[in-house]
Parts: sequence; structure tokens; C-alpha cells
Amino acid sequence: MPTMEVDGKQVAWEGRKMILQACNDAGVELPQYCYHEGLSIVASCRICLVEIESPDPKDPAKLVKVPKLVPSCQTPAVNGMKVHSKSPKAAANQKAVMEFLLINHPLDCPVCDQAGECYLQDYSFKYGRAESRFDEDKAKKPKKDIGKHVVLYSDRCIMCTRCVRFTREISGTGELGVFGRGHKEQIDVFQGKSLDNPLSANVIDICPVGALLDKDFLFTQRVWFLKSTPSISPFSSGGENIFIEHNQGRIYRIKPRFNKDINKWWISDDIRYGWDFVHNNRLQTISAADAPEGLTWRQGLDRLERSFKKAVAEKGHGSTLLMLSPFDTTEEMFLAATWARKMDPGCALGLNLSKIDGQDQVFTNPTTGAVTYTIRADKSPNRLGAENIRAHFGGNSLMFSYLSSKISAGDIQAALVCADPIGHNDADMSNYFQPLKNLTVLSSRPDGLVKQASLSLPVCTWAEKAGVFENCQGVIQPFVQAIQPLEGSRSTGSVFWELLGLSGQYDPAAVRRMMADAGKPQYGQVTPPARQEKVELMQFAEL
Amino acid sequence: MAFAGPVLLKRIPDDPAKRRLIRYSDYCATGGYEALKKSWTTPPEDIIKLVVESGLRGRGGAGFPCGTKWTFLPKDLHPRYLAVNFDESEPGTFKDRYLTDYDPHILLEGIAIAAYANRITTSYIFIRGEYHHEAKILEEALEEAYANGIFGKKLPGTDIVHNCYVHRGAGAYICGEETGLLEALEGKRGWPRIKPPFPAVAGAFAKPTIINNVETLACLPDIVLKGAAWFKGMGTPSSAGPKLYGISGHIHKPGVYEDELGIKMSTLIEKYAGGVKGKYRAAIPGGVSMGILGTDQWDAELDFDIGRKYNVLGLGTAGVIVMNDTTDLVLMLRNIVRFFAYESCGQCTPCREGTAWMHKMLNRIVAGFGRPRDFDMLMEVGLSMGSMPGTTICGLADGANWAVKTFLQKFPDDFKSRLKPEQVRGVTLTPAGATV
Repeated sequence: MPTMEVDGKQVAWEGRKMILQACNDAGVELPQYCYHEGLSIVASCRICLVEIESPDPKDPAKLVKVPKLVPSCQTPAVNGMKVHSKSPKAAANQKAVMEFLLINHPLDCPVCDQAGECYLQDYSFKYGRAESRFDEDKAKKPKKDIGKHVVLYSDRCIMCTRCVRFTREISGTGELGVFGRGHKEQIDVFQGKSLDNPLSANVIDICPVGALLDKDFLFTQRVWFLKSTPSISPFSSGGENIFIEHNQGRIYRIKPRFNKDINKWWISDDIRYGWDFVHNNRLQTISAADAPEGLTWRQGLDRLERSFKKAVAEKGHGSTLLMLSPFDTTEEMFLAATWARKMDPGCALGLNLSKIDGQDQVFTNPTTGAVTYTIRADKSPNRLGAENIRAHFGGNSLMFSYLSSKISAGDIQAALVCADPIGHNDADMSNYFQPLKNLTVLSSRPDGLVKQASLSLPVCTWAEKAGVFENCQGVIQPFVQAIQPLEGSRSTGSVFWELLGLSGQYDPAAVRRMMADAGKPQYGQVTPPARQEKVELMQFAEL
Repeated sequence: MAFAGPVLLKRIPDDPAKRRLIRYSDYCATGGYEALKKSWTTPPEDIIKLVVESGLRGRGGAGFPCGTKWTFLPKDLHPRYLAVNFDESEPGTFKDRYLTDYDPHILLEGIAIAAYANRITTSYIFIRGEYHHEAKILEEALEEAYANGIFGKKLPGTDIVHNCYVHRGAGAYICGEETGLLEALEGKRGWPRIKPPFPAVAGAFAKPTIINNVETLACLPDIVLKGAAWFKGMGTPSSAGPKLYGISGHIHKPGVYEDELGIKMSTLIEKYAGGVKGKYRAAIPGGVSMGILGTDQWDAELDFDIGRKYNVLGLGTAGVIVMNDTTDLVLMLRNIVRFFAYESCGQCTPCREGTAWMHKMLNRIVAGFGRPRDFDMLMEVGLSMGSMPGTTICGLADGANWAVKTFLQKFPDDFKSRLKPEQVRGVTLTPAGATV
């Protein structure tokens, strides 16, 4: 493996890599603005310039100092090379570039959403100078509404052109361009266009400064209050890796989390803005038609058990139905099915219809033709997990298309439905279940089947629980709980944990071990990601 | 053998009244396209060798050896393109325009020779957007050349059909930078490219491309006809051949004159330009990005070594601007920096922000609000922008920096006299460290 020395640290890499890329992978910091691993290299911000000593091609033991500063983002790493990013010359350039970037920057950090996660702030502190020597008038540039989700503060822009390259190379839509010249140039959309492609909001993440901001998040929270919890998209079968960013039990935004095999650096806008159901329109009470004052959880669970027992007693095995939701975790479905088959060994296992939006939407780089991102048509995050559970339990498995006839024929006497958190199939479901008297619904929202249920139990959404989702390619991905369950609600898993009489608190890891013991070893090997708290307290020595 | 009369301008009379456009028939009648016919009977490798031996250096400003540039083309990689750099936008430079105004065929013959020698598929003449008249002349001359079998035919001994087109720029100085030119040629924003890959390997449309200046190509017919030794007989050992000098400013006869490389500036001014109006003070050797020659550098030799000898960036385009002692050098520098701030493409941070900052600072100094520390600030901004070579992608920042640096170094008093000590509520402050 080739190695080089960067500021006295050994950096090793594999294959052909640029100096900056090798350092990024090895965790050695070099300043950078315009460089992004997922985009083409333009080498225009000029802050990553370093001094290098390169091995002489004729005599590799001898190092030759390159007289110029070279852009580390664009210079290939060579075995045995020495890189100096802290030498007086390199440091002088970093200081100069920082000063140049800030002379026309409004320095309005107190009212800027990016403050706290801004590379201008970070690098100013590390590489810049403490005060401004610029006494002239700053260039004034407008704030622009460039798209459905994105607002552009032109005056804060440092012209790294990451966003322009994103629309040209990743989304392939090319709405953004650079207009004007010199210090008056600005990013803008081309005439008659608007930044409204399905990946548009990614430009907000790749903007290193506060120029491109999220309309949805604008002025709602200072970023240093946000906690960032690694999670999995609840809204797509692709299993995109995300961060849930939340504070005091409330989600403020969703950000993509890098996964080189699945979503790379990006997520689609429907995942980013699809978390409304967590905080809006939630079911909070356990209700039954004959108990308008409400029930306690114990009473509710007793009624559920009684309804299944009654059906079995009256009509025998096979007269009950459990509908699984592909929006629940695999562990929850495992517990649910275990309980259902314990109550009625012939219990039918059904599965809610997935939400399918047309066909998979594939994005390619127009120049290279490489696939950059795929938006999955199937919006349910754990359809494969649900099918695996049904296959594992076998026996009476009810296809969705037979649901209506089975219920109308009176073959089903009691049903427990785990409702989806979004109402895509409400109309069908309420039709099918119309004849059924004994209907229990586990739901996070007060509409849909809840309205006709004989008993409804409030459960929480994916952000309030932990578990695993299995994406459409069969990758099992764990996620952890981000926020506390809404008052009154419990996770589906904990409902069945209690119904099964297991001791202690609902523990997804314990369920995965049970699943592994039951012949599903792949679930035993899952390690959930560590919770990452974004707030890092500055060490006193650094102040 | 020294300079024995005009080479490039041999068909253009000195007397403005007698100048007229030289058509294809006139051009051929005076020995035109003889060199092309001779070259078609010579193996292409020999022509490249001849150009290397002649020591012909690029006339566009950097002075890179032309033959050496041709040898960088990868072998057996086709198609190859030739981009003719006619984006003559350097202030004070008008030599290519003058040549094309009257004698467009000398350029076309040079293109045809270069195309034959390098197996070029397509030549693009990238002409500055503002040169409407010259674009029209070139289009007409091209039509004549096509009609007479100069272009649009198979290159002798190959299956390559060589075509030549005129491509008009949209009016940006930066498109005269070779990779900016290629981007503009491809229909993109004229932002210089990062190198590697170099244009000789992946240039226009990602194919091997040669980029040559108009005057460089116009030298080729005479080199082919008269040989390398004749060409080397003119000029100095490192700077061979004839050169077009454009001269303007405080002189009696501004215009384009031809002499060998390495003549003294004083000779150019007195022999050709009719002497200085008033008293000589300073001069810019070749386009404003080269810096300024001081009062004591009146006898500077105009060749490619001028940069090393006289503390300027280089000879540039040899578009000399002469200034007499009535010139306000602060205003002059402000105008130069304004040009660079306006023409900076905006890609690299130091150039985009630095040029505009210096312009604003000079505006303030001109308006009478300069402070003693501004002198050092101006110098420092200039230095951090360009004097460390390679801090930007292209040379525009270097050009701006050299202008500022040499003005301040050679004429510090012009600037310092405009700076007033700072006052705080009426109290005049002496700069720290100054001795009274």
C-alpha cells in the first residue's frame, strides 16, 4: 500500500487518489471548499494548496521540492511524497484565501442558519485572521427564490460551484449556472427554470456556507441545539441512510448520511421532507366504541387478547387475522406474528399494500452515463422484512387480494391491523374491513381504519423507536431511537413484548437474538450505529 | 544576417493611403502560397523539425517555443485540432488585427502549413468578439482559399480532410487564455481549465489540440521558404525572428511596425514612432499585464529576456504603451486594475476577490482618501494573489499582480504623495515606526 507523509503523519491509500482524497479518507485534515468526492474537480477555491516534495522519477530515494504551491485536490498522491500544509508558504496562502473569501461576505452569522456548521466559520478560526482589513464597500447581492425547497443568499456565496456541478452531474437537470464575471458573479437558475428536481435539496447540504438554505428549516432552530441521530429512511424501500436532527423531542430536519453502497451522499426530497407524520395528526388515546372515556393500556391489551380468544373459541383456529405493516421494523413484525400464532396457530398473516409511485426513477451523469441516484417507486421501507417474516412463519398467509372476500364471507372473526403511518390505502382498507365487528387497529394517526375500529391503540413512528429495516436489495440496516415516543403512544414492539409476557422493557436486540435462534442468523449479527451527539464541547485549551 | 526589411508586413505599404486588402490573386502574385506548395512536397516531420530549428517562439505573450509545442501531440491520436488564438484583447495590442486587416492570407497559409505538418483535421480561428470587421475579412479570405483548394481537401499523403472555420468569441479577455479559449470554443463559459491534461493531449472536445497565435502562424510561410538559418539570423540567440511591435501612447506616430526581436525600445520609439511627445517617463513593454518599465529603462531590449533583465513579467505581445511626464501613474494603474477586475473570470478566489479589492482601494486613493498603510496593503494583496506562481489556475492574476507590483516598486513616490496621514477627530496621526 503506498504511503505519503502529510505534516509529519503517515497517510496510506489504495489505487489512484488525489492528495486531498487520500487525506480525507485517512482522517487528516486539509482545508477545502470546492472539492467534493461525489463531484468533478474544479480546483477553484484555492484554499487546499500545499507544498509538496515529490520523489525524483530517476532516483526515487531523492525528494524534489516543487517550487509552486499545488492544489492538493488535483494533484495525484505519489508513494513516498511529503506534503506540507502547515509550512509558512501554505499557511500564508490559506490566510490570504480566507481574507479574500470574507471581504465580500456579509458576516451576518447571527442571523444565518448555517452558523455552527459553516466552513467559513470553522476555517476562519483555524486558518484565517482575526480581523478584517477590508475598508471598502462590500459587493451587494440579492436573496433569491430559486426553487421549491431552496433559497439562495447570493451575498454569502463563495462561488465554489458545488451546487452547479451537482445539478449537472448528479441530478442531470442543469438548472443552475454561474452568471456574470469577477466579484460580481452569482449563482442563479437559467431563465425560465426553477430548481425543482426530485434531488434539489441536496445542494443545501453540499453548500459549504450559508448561501443555499432550506426553506423548510429556515429560522426554525440554531444548529448547535440539534442532536443528530443516525437512522434509515422511513419512506423508501431503498434504505437510504439519514440523520434525524432533532431537539427536545421534535424533529427539525433530515440530512443524508454517507453510505457508499446505497445512497452515497444524497437523499431525495420526498425522504427529506416526508417526516410530517411524526409530529402531525397523531393518535394519542386508547379508545373503544363502548368506552368513550378512554382505556388504560392494560385494559386495551386485555380487550385485544379477549377478542382473539373469543374468535378462536367460537369459530376455531384460522378465524383470526394479523395485518403486518411494511413500515414497522422486522423485530416488531416477528413479535406480532409470534403472538398471533400463539393465540391462534392458524392465524392468517396479511400484509398491507405497499405505496408504489410509478416506477423507479434513475438519475445518471449526462456525460459519463453512470448511475448517480435511484428513487425507489416502492415507498415502504421494510417490505422485504415483512415478506421474510411471513415466509418464516409460513402457514396461513393471506394475500391482500383475497382480504375482501374472506372478511365478507365471515371467515375472519377478529383482526388486528398494524396500520401504515401514511394514509395511502385508507379507502380500500376501510371498505374491506367494513363488515368486521371485531377490529383492533395499532395506528399512529387518528384517521383511516381507526374510525371504524372496535379498539384502537396509539403506536409511535420510526423516529421514536429502534430496530432494523431491510431494503429492496436485501440489506438489513439497523437504526436507533431518535426522540421519545409521543405521550400516550408505545412502539408496536413493546405492545407485543407485553402481550407475550416477556420481562423487562422491549429490547430490539433481544428480539434479534430470538430471531437468530429461530433460524434467522443474519439478524443476530446486526450492530446498531452509535448515537452521535453533534454537540461537541470545545476544550478549554482550544479557546 | 540581420533584419533586411519587413517579413510579415512585406505586402502592406508603409503609407496608409496606399494600404488595401490583399486578395487571393494579389497574394499569389507576390509569392503567396508558394511556401504551402513547397511544404506539401516535404515530409511533415521535416517541417516540424524546421520549425524547431528556427527557434520560433510563440508571439501571443508567453514565448513558448512553437516547434516544441507541436512535438507534444501524442503520436497516432486523431483527430487533432488547431485553435488559432485571435482573441487579441490585451490592452495596447493590435498587431494581429493590423495584419489581418490587410493581409489575411498570410495567416491562412500559416494555418495550412501547420495543419499539414501536424495532420490537423480541423482548424478554428477563434477571433475576438469585437473584431467584426476582421471576422468578415477572414470569412471572405477563407471562401477564396476554399475555392482555390487550400482547405477542404485531403492533406497530401493522408486521408485527413482539413477544414478551417472562423469562430467568433463573445467578448471576454479570459478567452485569450488558451484553455479558456477551448472552453469558449466548445460553447461553454470561458473558464480556464485545470491542467493536466494539457491541450496537446486533451484540448478542444477532449482531443489533442495545438493553440497558436496569429503572428506565430504568419511566420511559418517564410520559414518554410527561406529556412531556419535565415530566420535565426534575425533577433537574438534566444529570441529569433522578426516581430510586430504595436506602439501607442505619447508618441508621434502610433501604429504597428516590424523589426527583428531584441531592438531597443528607444530605437522603436525614435526610428519608427517619431519620438516621444514631451519627456519620456515610463512605458509598458507588451500589454498591461507585463508591468511597467521605469524612466531609467528607456533602452530596454525588446526580446523574450526582458522580464529577467528589467523586472517586468515579460515581453508579452510587444504592444508598447509609452507615457510622458504628464501621465498620472496612479490613474493609469487604477485603469489597468479596473480592467483586470472587470475581466477576471471569477473562478479562483484570489483573483476574483483580489482584483476587485485593489480596484476599490485605488479608487479610494484617487478620490483623495488614501492612507499610508494602503501602499503596503496594495502590495500585499498583489503579492498574495499572484506572485506565488500557481496560486490560481491561469495567469490573469499574475498579470494583475505584476502591473501593481512594478508600478509600486518603480514609482513609489507617485503613490505615496497621494496618501494622507490618518486623522482621528482632527488629530493627525503619524504611522507607527515612522521617524519624523
